[in-house]
Amino acid sequence: MKPNRTVENAVLASPMVLFLLAMLGFPVILSLVYGFSETRFEALTSPTFNGLDNFRQVMADTSFWQAAWFSLRFGVITAILQCTLGLFLAVYLAPLIRRHSWMVAVLIIPMVVAPAMIGLMYRLVLHEFVGPLPHYLFQWFGASPAFLNGANVFKTVVVAETLQWTPFAFVLFLTAYQAIPTEMREAATVDGTRPWRMFWKIELPLMMPTLFAAVFVRFIDGFRVFDTIYTLVGPGPGGATTSMSIYIYETFLRRGEIGKAMAAAILLFLSAFLVLAVAQHLLRRRG
Amino acid sequence: MKLHNSLRWLVFLLAAFAMNFPVIATVATAFKGPGEVTKNPSLWVQAPTLDNFITVFTVSDRLNIFAYLWNSAVAAMIGSILPIIVAFPIAWAMSRRSYGRAVMFPLIVNIRALPLIIFAIPLYMVYSATGLLDTRVGLGLILAIVNLPLTLMLLVNAISDIPIELEEAARVDGARLPRMLMRVVLPLCRPAFVTTFVFGFITGWNEFLFGLMLTTREAVPMTVGASFFFASSGGGVQWGVAAAVMVVAALPPLLLGLIMYRRLSGSMVAGAVKG
Repeated sequence: MKPNRTVENAVLASPMVLFLLAMLGFPVILSLVYGFSETRFEALTSPTFNGLDNFRQVMADTSFWQAAWFSLRFGVITAILQCTLGLFLAVYLAPLIRRHSWMVAVLIIPMVVAPAMIGLMYRLVLHEFVGPLPHYLFQWFGASPAFLNGANVFKTVVVAETLQWTPFAFVLFLTAYQAIPTEMREAATVDGTRPWRMFWKIELPLMMPTLFAAVFVRFIDGFRVFDTIYTLVGPGPGGATTSMSIYIYETFLRRGEIGKAMAAAILLFLSAFLVLAVAQHLLRRRG
Repeated sequence: MKLHNSLRWLVFLLAAFAMNFPVIATVATAFKGPGEVTKNPSLWVQAPTLDNFITVFTVSDRLNIFAYLWNSAVAAMIGSILPIIVAFPIAWAMSRRSYGRAVMFPLIVNIRALPLIIFAIPLYMVYSATGLLDTRVGLGLILAIVNLPLTLMLLVNAISDIPIELEEAARVDGARLPRMLMRVVLPLCRPAFVTTFVFGFITGWNEFLFGLMLTTREAVPMTVGASFFFASSGGGVQWGVAAAVMVVAALPPLLLGLIMYRRLSGSMVAGAVKG
């Protein structure tokens, strides 16, 4: 029975393992080869080994560090904003949603629209001649800021990302909130606990695991952002909106620096891996 | 209490309006004629017209929206069905025998958290060497990798929810493993397959980075094709037409999402909390 089972398990695993190896195994080897070599687009198949040169170049590139700083800031700020807003909406609207569940559908619409489309849509929304937002701002306040110039573009992309993905945090919190047993709330109400205190002392602690998960997931998605920003402003004025993903993309396809792009991708992978490992270690310790 | 409820409705309307503002503005613009687009940027359409949509569907070969839609549909189909096929057997082994739970499962689940650009560059190399560059199959294959982590998680969850007695009964009746999987487990997983498929299809349809990097002419998906309409050809961007393109591009996932929103939000929670 025992050896039979081992064979059986291997057979069951084989479709997925083979698929992963075929799709990712070879690319991983290639990354390593090209990461440590000098290559040009005209001669893709003949990389020449150059040791750690690419990594040195990346580390010495100020725009790499600018991109890393952008992604980090963008990830942290959008995650906090989305989770705060999402938590508020979930808790505040929960009594209404209990009676009108269709409200959830209305609020999750932004999530099923492609981030790339959202970026393009904001080009229209913010356009100084055809965009509704500048139009109304002019009408009501007599002035409209230049949303996409160097001074404002960071705020603009943060708001765009936050408005699209707050629904994600909202859904997570709503589910966690609805899962709190009603007896718990009833007991607290009988004891005369005020709503505000109930939230801080009972509901929020019960939703803590969800809060951690939501912040983490939203940070990861913000950190690796590409579509929304790229379709809205691209690298941005003076590289102001160049995230890590955009930096690597531009280095690879625009500037054709293959080895450098690969080296940056490897560094990005290592840092993502590190963050994941730390986060999961922390979650496990709590759980 | 009355006042509180009105306040809640107000908050809901404000949030819904703010979060859906780009969509609302785009839909409004799509129904404006070329003259009205520049004269009336407000959300109120004075003379609604379908001209923009007609233009979108009758444009030149250079911007062939039917091709974009077809490319997206095929790639998203491959990208959502293939992971279900390859993950189903191992999902059973993982949930019933804890096989691969310690290493393989977290490894695959973590793929979801990696920046996609990491895969894009080496895949570009591999694809250009194997002729998969600029093909719908090539795009579909990488979308399948993108969808694999969540597919695996949802299938493991679904199989764990099946009462094990059903499987044992089939085994007692003498059914061997493959037969039992096909006759007992597979039919019971059907709802999970539907959810996973819808989720994967939406993700695949909405994907942009791989479409941008791995396609050039033949297999360009709708998300990338839509951005072509913003590359001004001579007289600047035709905003009405561009808006209509975005409405068309966003419609399939939007409809799927609205029909399936209950199940989608359920699986999102499962995906986020377990990951």
